Amino acid sequence: MSQGKALMLWLACKSLLFEKVRLLITIIGIAFSTILVLTQVGIYLGMMGNATSIIKNSDADIWITSKNIQNFDFANPMPEDKINKVRAIPDILWADRLIMTWGFLKLEGGGQEQVQIIGFNPDTGVGAPWSMISGKPSDVKGGRYMIIDKSSEQRLGTLITGSVWELNKKRFKLIGLSDGIKSFTTSPIIFMSYEQAQNLSAGFLESTETSFILAKLKGGKNADMVISELRNSMKDNDIFTKNGFMLKTIKYWTIQTGIGMGFFLTAILGLIIGGSIVGQTIYANTMQHLKEFGTLKALGAKNEDVYKVILWQAGINATTGYLTGVVLIFLLREGIERAGVPMHMSLLIIISLFFVILLTCLGSAYFSIMKIKNLDPVMVFRT
Amino acid sequence: MDNCLELTDISKRYREGRIDVLAVDSVSLIMHPGEVLLIMGPSGSGKTTLLSIMGCILKPTSGEIRIDDQIVSNMGEKELPDIRKKYFGFVFQSFNLFPSLTARENIELLLRLKGFQKDTIKQESLNLIEKVELAKRANFLPHDMSGGEKQRVAIARALAGAPRIILADEPTANLDSRTGKEILVILRKNAVEYGKAVAIVSHDPKAEAMADRIIYFEDGRIKV
Repeated sequence: MSQGKALMLWLACKSLLFEKVRLLITIIGIAFSTILVLTQVGIYLGMMGNATSIIKNSDADIWITSKNIQNFDFANPMPEDKINKVRAIPDILWADRLIMTWGFLKLEGGGQEQVQIIGFNPDTGVGAPWSMISGKPSDVKGGRYMIIDKSSEQRLGTLITGSVWELNKKRFKLIGLSDGIKSFTTSPIIFMSYEQAQNLSAGFLESTETSFILAKLKGGKNADMVISELRNSMKDNDIFTKNGFMLKTIKYWTIQTGIGMGFFLTAILGLIIGGSIVGQTIYANTMQHLKEFGTLKALGAKNEDVYKVILWQAGINATTGYLTGVVLIFLLREGIERAGVPMHMSLLIIISLFFVILLTCLGSAYFSIMKIKNLDPVMVFRT
Repeated sequence: MDNCLELTDISKRYREGRIDVLAVDSVSLIMHPGEVLLIMGPSGSGKTTLLSIMGCILKPTSGEIRIDDQIVSNMGEKELPDIRKKYFGFVFQSFNLFPSLTARENIELLLRLKGFQKDTIKQESLNLIEKVELAKRANFLPHDMSGGEKQRVAIARALAGAPRIILADEPTANLDSRTGKEILVILRKNAVEYGKAVAIVSHDPKAEAMADRIIYFEDGRIKV
């Protein structure tokens, strides 16, 4: 660091630490703003992660759905023999079917819960649960067996493998527990064999119908070309890449339902609050120390040097406030998730949001910088 | 005798609302090393405006300012901070110390601003604080010091980096009589012993005894 920069950093630190109460208030303000932004972004990403987790964790490159599908959770039936058209394409390594439907699970006390049912092929494991606490996905084969996610215990009560449950008036044996597989709608997810899911959905799904066809490309094959070929031969269906279908689902929940927009606006509100706190504090600080800044200019400091003091102060406020907020978020996170609210937090999000908060704080120093720019050093002679 | 600061036909005109004010009217003066110049005059006569122009803080409307034969009056805001840093030390009526910095740090600030090396800064700031007899108060913050002590720190700061010209605006105005005299003695000593050119703007009659030359300023002009 150059001597000039180090000097302005030193002056910024000295000035901040001189007024500890003001510093504390600013840090608390930014920390709460950080908590607000991080929780909103974390919960939004957590919910979107849940909405797309089955697509993301399937090994398929291509998803074939009914025409004009809105998202993964609202699948319409389509003829399952369309799988033959997919398998007929030479660049396809394999293709399999997957059912996504809804049902009602009777609870011990007599009530019932709506559940999301995923019917997969236990022989291939396409669309099967990818993280298990007990049992194996293939255990669902050959009867009315099901796997329920452990996180559903809050809604369904204690889940004991071997216990028998009534689902859509049919008895199913719980043979395994998956781990951390949740739906966007928060309904518990139940995995079972494709055939059982099809039987269970009679009335909604015919015995010759499915929800999705999933396909895997042969190594090195171009997805766009295959998709184009599929679109030509399957005009009554929508064809997506894995990422395309995830994006479609995310867009639906974010834009069409307005749920994501709500989170987005709250996150923006958090940024505005944080930025205002820093801006207001720095501006008040600048006004209070105007004579010192004028003195600095009179003694030979350039405008840029004085800007550096203000920007360092904004940067220090942003960094300490943000770090405090992040520490508090990690302390609160377990409690939030235990309450059933999904929260996605990663190093990338933490680093990205730091830069957002930092830029907001630096931007909020704009009015102080303008004040300094127009500050006449002659004012140092006034009492 | 060398000239270290030369003002030739300097005027400063500005607008105050709808009124055109001629704060400094065709002033010419020279400052010599080792000399104490006292500028006296009634309030509102333009003394402080003149001092601001002499210190290259305020640009004149017309006229020429030379420092060591270098014309500085045509320089812009990009060059002037370096001129102020190199040639001038300022002493203000209300001290203008940084409240978050100790006495010694206030001096170090200027040495660092002038680009001194770290090891020199420590020693130089110590020398300066001793020169104004405040070594025991070196680590005190301004709000723990008396007015006289603050002004001594301000003088030490003005001397940091050995500028050739010291400009003092009403340096005794906020001090009691005895302390005010001590401050004037320190300023005089710096002119006599270290060859500084010292200009003092003051109403204080005690300052007259310390001056080598006195100019009376009235209505923006030097009164002959």
